[in-house]
Order: sequence, then C-alpha cells, then structure tokens
Amino acid sequence: MRRFARSRNLTAAALVALAFGGFTASPALAHAPVTPTTPPGTTYAPVNIVHTERVQAGPYGVTIGFSVWPVHAMQSMDFSFIPDGGIQGKSGQLHVDGPNMPADERVQPLARHPRKRGVWGLDTTALPSPGQWRFGFVIDGPQGRGEGSLATPFTALQQPGPPLALSWSITTIPLLFLVGFIAVAWRRMRPGSAMEPLTA
Amino acid sequence: MDHSMANRPAFALPTADKAIDQGVTRPWLPAALVTLGTLSSLFGISWDVQWHIDVGPDTFFTLPHLVLYAGSAIAGLTSLAVVLMTTARQRAGRLIDPLVGGRHVRVLGGAFAAPVGYLVSGTGAAMFLLTGLWDMWWHTLYGFDATLSSPPHVSLFLSITVTMAGSVIVYGAAREQRWGRIGMIIAMPVMVAFSMITLAPVKDLPGVVNPQTIGSAFLSLMLLITAAACLRRPGGALAIGLVLAAMQGVLWVYSPWAAHVYAGFVGLPLRDYVEPVPAFPSKLPMFLVLAAASVELVLWRARSRRWPMRWAPLAAGALGGAVVAVCAPLQDLVMTGHGGFDMPPLVATTIGSAAFGVLAGFLGWRFGTMMRGTTATPNTAASTTRPLIEGI
Repeated sequence: MRRFARSRNLTAAALVALAFGGFTASPALAHAPVTPTTPPGTTYAPVNIVHTERVQAGPYGVTIGFSVWPVHAMQSMDFSFIPDGGIQGKSGQLHVDGPNMPADERVQPLARHPRKRGVWGLDTTALPSPGQWRFGFVIDGPQGRGEGSLATPFTALQQPGPPLALSWSITTIPLLFLVGFIAVAWRRMRPGSAMEPLTA
Repeated sequence: MDHSMANRPAFALPTADKAIDQGVTRPWLPAALVTLGTLSSLFGISWDVQWHIDVGPDTFFTLPHLVLYAGSAIAGLTSLAVVLMTTARQRAGRLIDPLVGGRHVRVLGGAFAAPVGYLVSGTGAAMFLLTGLWDMWWHTLYGFDATLSSPPHVSLFLSITVTMAGSVIVYGAAREQRWGRIGMIIAMPVMVAFSMITLAPVKDLPGVVNPQTIGSAFLSLMLLITAAACLRRPGGALAIGLVLAAMQGVLWVYSPWAAHVYAGFVGLPLRDYVEPVPAFPSKLPMFLVLAAASVELVLWRARSRRWPMRWAPLAAGALGGAVVAVCAPLQDLVMTGHGGFDMPPLVATTIGSAAFGVLAGFLGWRFGTMMRGTTATPNTAASTTRPLIEGI
C-alpha cells in the first residue's frame, strides 16, 4: 500500500513536471539533489544549533536554538524552540518583537519546524532590520498556561553584503531598460498625435 | 523636424505589391513558444511561492525553480532564433515582414536586425539569466531566504515582465491575424497576472490607503487599456478580463496541488498551519472582469458618440480603477470569510485608484497606439498631419 502511494506520488510529480517544465532537458535537473532515491535528510540542510538562549514561560522552560550566531539582519536562518519535556501535549503562540517586524507576523502559532519535526521552530527566517529583538511564548500544556519572554533581547547586526541602496539600484536595470525603450519609441512615434475618435 | 515613422532609416517597410519572404513560414509558432515560456514563468512562480508557504525548505535546484527558469530559457532561445533568422534575411537583401514581431531595428550598430517584439522578449530573458547569477550569489550571502521582495528577486520579476511585454508587442504586430488577436488575449492576462508579484515590495508602505490595491488597479488598467487601444475591437478588454479570471481559477487549483504533490515526491511534510487560500492567485484582482466591463462601456460610448480619445481612455481608467478598489474588500470577504468595508481607507484607496486609473488610461492608450505603429504602412506613417494609426 505504501509502495502504491509512493508510485502514485511519483506519477503525479512527473505529470506536474511534464505539464509545466518537463519539456526541457535541462542539465540543472541532472544535478538536482532532489531524486526519488535521495533521502530528504541529505537533500536539505540540517537544522544546526550554534547558540542557545533560555526563556521561562510560567512552568515551562524553553530553549531557543539559533543556527547562526551572531545574527545579522536579512540573513535567513533557523530558529528552534525546544520546550523542556518535548512538544507533546503542548501548544501556544510565538511573539516576535523587533524593528520593522510586519504586524501580521508579530504573533503566530507555535508550529513544528518543517525539517526538525520534534521541536517548534521557524525555518529560513530572516529578521528584517538590525536592532534589539525579543522572542516571547504563551504555552498551554499539562501544567496550565505559561507566559514568558527573553529577559534580555538579542541583537541583530547590520545586514551583510553591499549597501541596500546599491542593490536596489541594480534591481531597477530591467525596469530602466523598459522605460528607456518606451521613451525612445514614444519620441519616434508620438502616439499623442493619433487621438482620433473610434469608429463604429 | 519630422519624427514620423516613415523617416526612420532603421525600419524596412514592406509594400503591398511585393511578396514578403520572412523565412518564418508559420509566424505564429515563435509567438506561441514565447507565450509558452511566459506561461511557464507564471505557473513556476505561483508553484514556488506556494511551495515556500506550505512546505518550506529551499535549494536552488527545485522543480518550481526549474519551471520558472525554463520559461525564460524557452522565450529567450526562441527570440534569439527569430533575431538570427531576421538578420540572415536582411543580409540576403530580402524584405522583412513586420507581422513577425513588428518592424525590425538595427542592433549593435547594424550587426543584427531584430523584430522589436522579439528584441524586447529576448532582452528580458537575457537579463533574467544574468539576474539569476546575482540571485545565486545573494543566496550564498544571505542564505536561502524565502522573501519575495529581495533585490535580486524583484529584478528577476522585472526581467520576466520585460519578456512578457515583448510577447504582447509580438501579438500587437499581428493583430490583423486571427492568431494575433487570440495570442493577445492570452499574453496580456499573463502579464497582468505576473505584474501583481512585482507589487510585493509596496505592501508595507505606510499610509491610510492600500498601496497594493492602488498598484494593482494602475497596472491592470494600464495593460487592459493598452490591449484595447491596440486591438480597437469591441470586447477586447472584456475578453482579457475573462481569460485572466480563468487563469486565476486554474492557478487557484494548480498551485497548492503542485506544491503538495512535489512535497510528497521528495518526502517532505506540509507545515502545521497551511492556509486554505493559495498565496499567489489570491493576489490577482478577482473582479477585474468588472473593471474590464467598465472599460468596454466607456469605449462603447466613446465609439457611438464619437468622443475624443484624448480623454475617453482616462475616463475608462478612472472608472476601472475605482471598480478594482471597491471590489478589493469584497475579494477579502470571499476568500477569507471575514473582513469588511472600513470606510475611510476604502474611500481614500478608491480615490487613489481612480487617480492612478487616469494615468493608466493616458499611458495605456498611447502604448497601444505605439504597438499598432510597429506594423504601420508607409501611407499611414508618411505624414504627421494624418492620424498615425487608422482605427478599425
């Protein structure tokens, strides 16, 4: 039965690829690490923890794991939230507080990390701006509800790489091409001189 | 100084009494291939966005990325082939048919002769591939972030938009052919749909108005009116609105299905909290068909009353923009089952959308007129005192 399900998944995936991309024999696919024989563990990066912080949320102790330390703004990383005794029988909310954090992401349910299902976490997440950041938790579990947040906020350093102004300037090159092309065509064709009424 | 098109030496215009041998026996074929590429880009991005939201992990070599990149590769290689064939025809001293991608222009000091539509689509594809290298470098520095609005991502989206603009110009040049009109009502909705993703960086702008709704109104109305001005046939804008609605429906089903099937294929679980509403399709204006009908209504009145076209497209853009803004909260209500009509921001956003709709009408009508100019005959282009383009 499991084999059948696997086969059905493969067929469906092949259909997806054939429908909108499988028509090209790209060498990129030949080197793709995603193959039916490659276990997911080797396909995607493991969730490392190189630094930890502790939070006491009522009766629940939580270890926050950082995959990168120190943290830089805009640099994506994994956060693990590991309650003492595991996540079984517990649920709750994560509160993220920091500069320029989008309002709709400040409070979110605690969800299992997609690549480390035994703990809660945020995967490939980047903090938008440098500054002081704080995680807080509201946890419901066998010992009732507990709330708490980092006693001392951690610091996100300046973003790596070139200044953002330079990066955004490079971003506009395709737009400048299109605007330049339209400007040249406009100058040659003078479309404003062809405003005659429509005919029935 | 006369800037009329007939005086541009870069253009080779055919005459009616000479047979034209372009070398492209099926001119619809390269146009269809470029459209296939742009469709691949559209479906690839919708799949990729859904993958990030519902599943999560990312590498450079995923199937959604492959589909996205294959789209620009198909469009770029097709455009290159047409440019090389056109260059060969020109060097052989043959006339070049402007129905194949529009009139040709000299590129790199005359080394190449490129039909203007394929020049634009090919340039967009080339910029996409260069930007892809930049994106790879960016990921080595910042990690595999899943943010849509990083500088290289926005540049990738703009490059694809340039390719889509080229595809639209190609069909605009062939608007007198049945395949050209059919192509236009497919290529333009693809561009309208894709343009919504370029609005991602504006969503967090502060203010009482909704900048994403205003941007959506501006881009969609400008493109609708561009097509209407190019085709100049009743029902053109409405057909585009209907095709866009159909595309939205297909993407609505396809995007989560493809993401979930692919997750099963590579053995990855879905996230704990998966939204029932697909991410990218829900950003497309669901009621654009009503705005398109508004544009049709204004153009119908303009046609029957002989209204001057200096302001009729502006009125069409304002009305259509207001319709998009008023329908935006309705779209939220339909999708999520909650939300409402919060009057101060709704009124401000509607006024803003109508104002940008005026600009969209101004620009769109002129862009469509310019597209008609890509196949102007010497008679229509010879004098600046005559209308540049004859209406149908």
